[in-house]
Amino acid sequence: MRKLLHTVLLGLLGAGIVHIVVLMLVPEFSERDAWSRLAMASDLYKMTRLDAEAGGAPVVKSVDPLFYAAACRFDLAEGMVRIKAPGNVPFWSVSVYDRSGHNLYSFNDHSATGGVLDTVVLTPAQMIDVRRELPEELQGAIFVEAPIEEGIFVIRSFVPDDSWKPVVSQFLEQSSCELQDY
Amino acid sequence: MLKNAFLTLLSLAIAIGGGGGSVWYALKAQDGVGAIRIGQWTAFPEIGTQAADPYSKARVAREGVLALGRAEGLSFIAERDAGGDQLRRECAYMIEGGFPTARFWTLYAADQSLGVVDTDRPRLAALQSYQVLRQPDNSVIITVGNRPAPGNWLLTEGFGRMYFVLTFYDTPIASSTGLSDVTLPRIVKAGCNA
Repeated sequence: MRKLLHTVLLGLLGAGIVHIVVLMLVPEFSERDAWSRLAMASDLYKMTRLDAEAGGAPVVKSVDPLFYAAACRFDLAEGMVRIKAPGNVPFWSVSVYDRSGHNLYSFNDHSATGGVLDTVVLTPAQMIDVRRELPEELQGAIFVEAPIEEGIFVIRSFVPDDSWKPVVSQFLEQSSCELQDY
Repeated sequence: MLKNAFLTLLSLAIAIGGGGGSVWYALKAQDGVGAIRIGQWTAFPEIGTQAADPYSKARVAREGVLALGRAEGLSFIAERDAGGDQLRRECAYMIEGGFPTARFWTLYAADQSLGVVDTDRPRLAALQSYQVLRQPDNSVIITVGNRPAPGNWLLTEGFGRMYFVLTFYDTPIASSTGLSDVTLPRIVKAGCNA
């Protein structure tokens, strides 16, 4: 009887260890995370719609039904990336995520000059280079320093009612995500 | 000898089964570490950030979530009404009360996977703050159900479990310690179509 109790206690202790190990390994080995899902849907530096409106199942789940969203993947090791979107919509917000889907930085249209989305994501080292001599065309851009290489950029935009659908769709379709030469 | 082998196997089975199962259960539960509860509403302000706890991180990786940033907004999820019963799609509810400061908010009825409930109609099972009618004291009363209702009506259809997802955009409650004195609307069951 004491042996059985000993076994059960040992098992429970082992369960605790397995619990912690599995928990730590889930993010490392997940093939269902946002990066993997986006990688299946499109290439680097390509804006992809996340909502179901563009046809097909939504790429990334739990997007607000009253929102349209688009995302692109980038690799800062290749150079800094510039994201632009023309047009006027009721509300937009953007987020920069790292490879494993952690939100590093976010801002919305109130933070941008004139509500226009024009932003550059770059590493601190690239920022030092850019600061030395700021190119003319980057004067109005918002600079986001991110200490990462691979990352995801997401634009979300509010669709208050059906009449806004074409406008917001166009806003996202025309958004660009490009490697910026410097 | 055989008894020793059996005992070893038993302890291994408890360890692997219990460990794996408890992780699976912890990730499935809506509640959990890092949750903030206000009335029936639950939010995970830390989810999707570097500062999140290991459970939130695992959930983010497993479900492929791209969580809202602080400057974007904050989501609250309700799975029970004020009486403590689980929300069901075949029931009618009243959501009433004041909403905290935000540029706007959206409310939608969600299924198990937290996607919007499929209504089979052009009308979405979602409402937003620019389209709601308000009471003289600026509070909002929303009727939830599959029968049209005067005032604010949130359409739901079908059977099974349901969740309400209430998201505030560009709101001060997402940053800072503003969450402590926030009140959210109550969810009251009005009746069920059994």
